[in-house]
Amino acid sequence: MQALHRVCDKLRRPLTTLAGAAGFHSLLARALTLAKKESPLLSGWEVRSDGSLQGMNGEAVQSGAVLLAHFIGLMITLIGEPLTIRLVQDAWLDLPESQLNIEGGKSE
Amino acid sequence: MNEQTRVKINQLPTGVPGLDEILGGGLPEFSFNIIAGAPGCGKTTLAHQFIFANATVDRPALYFTVMGEPALKMLRYQQQFTFFDAAKLNNAVRFVNLSQDLIDRGLEGVLEEISKQVEGVNPSIVVVDSFRTVLRSGMQESSEMAVQTFVQQLALLLTSWEATTFLIGEYSEAEVRDNPVFTVADGLFWLFQQVDRNSVVRKMQIMKLRGQASVPGLHTFRITEEGLQAFSRTLGLLGQRKTFTSIKRLSMGISALDEMMGGGVPEGDSLLIAGSSGTGKSLMATQFLAAGIRAGEPGIAAVFEERPNEYTARASEFGLDLQTPLAEGRLEVIYLRPLDLSVDEMMQEILDAVKRTGAKRLVIDSLAGFEMALAPAFRADFRESLYRMIFALTAIGITILSTLEMPETFTELLFSSYSISFLTDDIIRMRYVEIEGQLSQILMVVKMRRGVHSRDIRQYQITPEGIVIGERFRNYVDLITGIPQPLSVLRSEETLPNRRVEIPRADR
Repeated sequence: MQALHRVCDKLRRPLTTLAGAAGFHSLLARALTLAKKESPLLSGWEVRSDGSLQGMNGEAVQSGAVLLAHFIGLMITLIGEPLTIRLVQDAWLDLPESQLNIEGGKSE
Repeated sequence: MNEQTRVKINQLPTGVPGLDEILGGGLPEFSFNIIAGAPGCGKTTLAHQFIFANATVDRPALYFTVMGEPALKMLRYQQQFTFFDAAKLNNAVRFVNLSQDLIDRGLEGVLEEISKQVEGVNPSIVVVDSFRTVLRSGMQESSEMAVQTFVQQLALLLTSWEATTFLIGEYSEAEVRDNPVFTVADGLFWLFQQVDRNSVVRKMQIMKLRGQASVPGLHTFRITEEGLQAFSRTLGLLGQRKTFTSIKRLSMGISALDEMMGGGVPEGDSLLIAGSSGTGKSLMATQFLAAGIRAGEPGIAAVFEERPNEYTARASEFGLDLQTPLAEGRLEVIYLRPLDLSVDEMMQEILDAVKRTGAKRLVIDSLAGFEMALAPAFRADFRESLYRMIFALTAIGITILSTLEMPETFTELLFSSYSISFLTDDIIRMRYVEIEGQLSQILMVVKMRRGVHSRDIRQYQITPEGIVIGERFRNYVDLITGIPQPLSVLRSEETLPNRRVEIPRADR
């Protein structure tokens, strides 16, 4: 779960700069709603007003991945793949481009 | 100060075709500008075009969004424009949202955050969208002085950091007075969207621009997938008058007509062919273009009533090959029928075609079609616009032939229902006359500003080889009324003693 925290935090900084805290909060809340339909383990999770997650209690790592996939997918729907990759790259400056393989709206 | 000692103000390209000309060369570097206008008039797109044209990784653009259009939505829509370069996002072009700073800490918080970002990023361009939101919030919470101080400090900060700035706001014209931001601004760009009947026309005005002379007045612009394109009222052509040391005559492609005109149409003239439907105006215009092509003078046809392939197909029926020069780039056929066209836009099309082809001859077929293609709002100014267009194009040495459909009356000879004959140097009038129970066609050269011309009224025929001009009608009078009288009849009446006109009475 620490890993998910770190990932969300890395995403939060550039996206809050771009879209504002409210913008990031809305996106993450929507992604969580979509993820909950797929993974009942996320039912207790909430997005705080500052954009951080609460209610995580050690569920499977897989649930966190579902949430992230929906979050990235949502961004691709809104602003397209190239811009999403640029923003995600900004969050992981040390991540080689080859590892950012996005297909069918889902990020690996 | 003389030219060597005064500071040089660099001009930045706006990225908007036509706008640099309107601004007098480009946007002054480090200027503090406002883009104002109602929602949907293109303010954000204009700012985006500017930043994508100028921002670099070393000197990026900082785009602050405040409360207005959500940033993700803005990116969603702006990336549809061809100028949007995704590779520049987050390195050369950076978006920063200030909404929370404004909500939490008001103007002070906004200024602090802008200062922090500017000092950290060292941008060459700063945009605040929407600035009106920032000030409105400030006006509710702070005194007018606090707002004025904020604007002043922001201008100082951004000038000191050598940033060229755009503040975007949905202002109304009534707000120009008493608003401190307009006083501080170096440049004020106002965008309008005017609705007239069912059409919408976009116009812009540079209400203020310090440091250089911009073209005054309202300029039309269009928003396409390439972004904004502006059309200067003068298209930068004023003062470029081409001088001719001697008058070169251009052939009309009809030798008898050239003779009537004293050798052809003088180069750089505007010639009007007026006549009713079916008199052969378009054919004469086509022969004029074809003669130019044969003489090595590329041409442009602006047509409104038929498509380019129809135009060349019709020419081929008269043995005129326009398809080959069209394919080879020596002829361009501009077909515009959007119904919301502006004259300036039409002129830009023509000027672009002149640059591509090196055209010497231009045909506008017809003025009525041209007027119909204009948005209703522009039709009211048609004569004035036409004047600007003809003046500008003839000034660069283009010889213009326009056709004009005239209502045929059989009692008088009109030269122009538009009262535009004063715009033209030369006029040829074509019309029908009734001769011995048949419709015949006559033409005459009514006016040649730069030379003598024939006064003959000549009959002509439209043949498979084009217009063939015949002899002068010598045995008729009142030809120009359309109902001529044979001279023989008049002479016999003159010989009658006590000639009286008897009016037959129905009851006799």
